[in-house]
Amino acid sequence: MNMSDPLRREEKKDTAPDRQDSGPKSPDVSRPGRDNILKRMKRVDPKQSEKYKQRTGE
Amino acid sequence: MSDIVPLIGLETEYGIIREDLEKSDPVEESMLLLKACQLPSVFGAWAYFRERTHDDMRGFHVDRLAQDEEEDEFCAEDRKRPYSYLEMKSDRVLVNGARFYNDHTHPEYSAPECRDLFQLVAHDLAGEKIVAECARLRNMEIGKNALQVFKNNTDYSGHSYGTHDNYMIPRKFPFDYWVSHLVPFLITRQLYAGAGKVGSEYKKGEPFKGLQLAQRSDFIETVLSIETMTQRPIINTRDEPHAVPGRYRRLHLILGDANMSPYATALKVGTTRAVLTLIGREKIASPIELADPVSDIRNVSRDKTGKRPLKRTDGTAISPLEIQEFYLEQANKYLEGEEWRWTLHEWERTLNDLRHDRERLADRIDWAIKEKLFTRFMQEENIEWDDPLMQSLDLEYHNIDPERGLYYGLRQEGEVAAFAPVEEQVEKAISCPPDGTRAALRGRAVEKEKDNIKNIHWTGIEFKNGDTLDLTDVITTEEVEQALNSLKEQYA
Repeated sequence: MNMSDPLRREEKKDTAPDRQDSGPKSPDVSRPGRDNILKRMKRVDPKQSEKYKQRTGE
Repeated sequence: MSDIVPLIGLETEYGIIREDLEKSDPVEESMLLLKACQLPSVFGAWAYFRERTHDDMRGFHVDRLAQDEEEDEFCAEDRKRPYSYLEMKSDRVLVNGARFYNDHTHPEYSAPECRDLFQLVAHDLAGEKIVAECARLRNMEIGKNALQVFKNNTDYSGHSYGTHDNYMIPRKFPFDYWVSHLVPFLITRQLYAGAGKVGSEYKKGEPFKGLQLAQRSDFIETVLSIETMTQRPIINTRDEPHAVPGRYRRLHLILGDANMSPYATALKVGTTRAVLTLIGREKIASPIELADPVSDIRNVSRDKTGKRPLKRTDGTAISPLEIQEFYLEQANKYLEGEEWRWTLHEWERTLNDLRHDRERLADRIDWAIKEKLFTRFMQEENIEWDDPLMQSLDLEYHNIDPERGLYYGLRQEGEVAAFAPVEEQVEKAISCPPDGTRAALRGRAVEKEKDNIKNIHWTGIEFKNGDTLDLTDVITTEEVEQALNSLKEQYA
């Protein structure tokens, strides 16, 4: 899989076991707060740091 | 107020990018961000002629810094723009006594000088809010959420920008005395002060994959140097006290990271002030002498246990944790009173947590927060530290847009604790200078006489009507009180 593919996050989302099966889950991961932060992370453009060019500062 | 360290300060250079443009121009974007600031301020009147960036603590003057050449190259490039140098600098001095301007194409918020630790943390957070508000206003002008600003110290491609912590200390001790006692502390304080960085930008030696403690450690090349953009040192030797030179030095530390966690900011500054106070009271008998402190700073950054030994000049070894515990032991022995209570208690708690179960740091120490968050994400996504996404997530942790930034996301979800000691002070710090400091005089002058200010600096103000306000010797609360009383009628 091309790791820089921005759609990769969405593809992963559909197959994430925590989202589909009813098997045992880590109680922490199922907390709504953690789900929200994971959603926020999945929206990050994988190329963001590559595009982020700065000048040297002090 | 600490008798040895009466004033403390923090300067933060922010990273900036326009995501909707193929080529983001940091000069233009930083300038427009500063222009968006709506707080009452004096604009374009910074007294550059008062700056003394070429005097060295070791007792000499440097005619030319390596960074002057780089700056000249950029200036030659920037002269082609339709703006003057001062327009590009866009200097503002705010009513809270802070300086907000463009430094080397980074929006920089220099908090007003503070006397109290939590006062400074509140002002650092106020700066973050001010910069974020400017970004919001600028994005309204652009018409979309395209401008993003980051409180971090690297672009992951070898370009670093600084977060400097400053301490006013007495001139009476030789500079070497401060250095020998301070270096082992400084290279190991990243155990709790490091903001965490995915990957490495250090080109020599073995490649590093993973999360290291600090963003700046890859960029430290020497023990002492007056330079700040090349040959970055553990201790910067710039001798610019911003006060009466015969009485004070300003210790200008450039090795630190920008912390998103205010707890980490407080612990960094609080412990450094405690160690300086011990040194100034001559309570550290013999310094720990490390054989290779410059390499050590990188080695410490790559060891999240704090237990990997460092070589001493006498042939023995000591771990980073043991070094910190040595300083803490001295502090517990010699520093008493309410002023030190929080710092000493939290310093001890943090070192204990690191020694016994570092996951306990994940509610307050930036690198540990990242380690927990990113490890969980990598497991879920089945990716490794060297996946390009991981550096992007690392960058996004530092985004100061509350809707996007990962640290802010964790705060909103209650995953990291609020820093209660300063929560209620932050809003006030946006528009009020820190009580009991000369910044109160500066802020008052900006509030009452901004149209009459000809030039302004940390050390004083020159007014258009010929009056002057000299702040070089207004350091203690008594001196501030006296100066405020003498100006009572003027600023009534």
